[in-house]
Amino acid sequence: MYVFEHALLNLGKNKGRNILLGIMLFAVIASAVIALSIFNATDSIIENARIEFNTMIQIRPQRRQMGGNDNGASTVTLEDLHRFADSDYLSGVQIGVGGGFARGNETVFYLRSPELLYAFEAEMREKGLPDDWAVFRDESSYRRMIAPIENLQDISLTFLIVVMLFGAAIMILLSVIAIRERKYEIGVLRAMGMKKNKVVLCLWVETIVITFVCFVFGIIVGTVLSNPVAGALWTGEGQINIALNGITALQILGASLLLATITGAVSVSRITKYEPIKILMERN
Amino acid sequence: MKCLEIADVTYRYDGSTEAVLKGVSAVFEKGKVYTIIGQSGAGKSTLLSLISGLDTCKEGEVYYNGKKLRNLDRDEYRSKSIGVIFQGYNLLLNSTAVYNITLSMNISESDIKDKKAQKEIAYALLEKVGIDRETADRKILQLSGGEQQRVGIARALSHDPDVIIADEPTGNLDEATEASVLEILTRLAHEENKCVIIVTHSENVTAIADEVIGIRAGKLLIGEKV
Ligand SMILES: Nc1ncnc2c1ncn2[C@@H]1O[C@H](COP(=O)(O)OP(=O)(O)O)[C@@H](O)[C@H]1O
Ligand SMILES: [Mg+2]
Repeated sequence: MYVFEHALLNLGKNKGRNILLGIMLFAVIASAVIALSIFNATDSIIENARIEFNTMIQIRPQRRQMGGNDNGASTVTLEDLHRFADSDYLSGVQIGVGGGFARGNETVFYLRSPELLYAFEAEMREKGLPDDWAVFRDESSYRRMIAPIENLQDISLTFLIVVMLFGAAIMILLSVIAIRERKYEIGVLRAMGMKKNKVVLCLWVETIVITFVCFVFGIIVGTVLSNPVAGALWTGEGQINIALNGITALQILGASLLLATITGAVSVSRITKYEPIKILMERN
Repeated sequence: MKCLEIADVTYRYDGSTEAVLKGVSAVFEKGKVYTIIGQSGAGKSTLLSLISGLDTCKEGEVYYNGKKLRNLDRDEYRSKSIGVIFQGYNLLLNSTAVYNITLSMNISESDIKDKKAQKEIAYALLEKVGIDRETADRKILQLSGGEQQRVGIARALSHDPDVIIADEPTGNLDEATEASVLEILTRLAHEENKCVIIVTHSENVTAIADEVIGIRAGKLLIGEKV
């Protein structure tokens, strides 16, 4: 249809403006790819850690209010531990033994799934786990483990939000400027009898094409940069591996098209405000 | 045959107290050339913008083929039924002359869809108003005022409209080109049965008119020269 052809021709005719728009959009998309890739990677690390942690169960004698040592607590024998370990709720167990003695507080039970905790505790109590022994998850080591990841996640999320807001503001500003610049052209098209919706479609196609080109380049550059950036921000041990997955790419595409459409909506509201005669008279 | 009619039209611009047109009426028929004359600021362009559906009046009616213009799809009316030659040309400045013509054909949903064929028709139309192929391939910005005016004329004819409305169409043309443009416009009225309405200052244009309409003090003076 001629509207699409007209839109594509226009892309070439407004090079300066379109290149500026393209660079802005490209920077926004590349930054969003980096931020979102890091966010999603940390998210899955945290999620896996949480599942793993939630299935790791330990027992220990309750500290007395006074004294602060375990003296006087009931004992749990190796035989007890083996009896506790023989459970349908578990997928595995690491029994603590030292110097020939059972070490209940070094034993780790692995639940088949996190929500089995209460059933498993009840079962152990039935099998003779003394009341002054507590069943617990090691919250503090979990916190220690995920703190740097959460930190990275917070940074990436904040960055993502800032980038998107910044991107939206710039796109809207640019489109307002563009519409003002192109008011005469819109007036001519409308005076020639081109319908409002076609004029809008034309402008929208232009924006979508630019957005799509920027999306492709933004994805490539963002993917290449996301690992070094994550590395620089990563304060934990070892290395963090970031990879862009299909879902992330689709999220970015969705966000970009949304941005383009917001911009388009701004144009629409402006165009429908002007009658062709008003536009053309302003000029003559 | 009656084609366009304005009936008791009063028009006032937003924010101004004095009406530009004060209860004016006129009838325009197919097969005739009309010229509208009047001093600068008399309301000639205003009248044309009402007839061409670029603006609507709050009092009175404009009829096209017996139907109220305000009830018609005016986009379609502009793109198919009428061809307007604007005083300020109103061409797409960054596009070539030939593209301005083919775009107009597309907007009017011309039967000719083949791009090559469209271009050939556009070149031929432009040639009729004295624009050669080399000039036709230049951007409007790179054309002189007279050349732009001729592109505007060709565009108004490109979709074969019933009514041709021209606001000072020969203002920027030399005598020879003016004569050939007038010949085209007269032929369209007399041989192709179009309704041609021309706003002008030129004696040469009024000379070819079948009817002359003057505007003064918001009133139409039909058949009078002012
Ligand atoms: N947009 C406008 N707002 C207010 N007044 C206008 C506007 N356009 C034209 N006018 C006034 O209306 C009158 C008629 O203008 P116009 O139709 O352009 O005259 P002409 O074409 O005969 O020279 C003039 O006095 C002009 O100043
Ligand atoms: Mg005028």
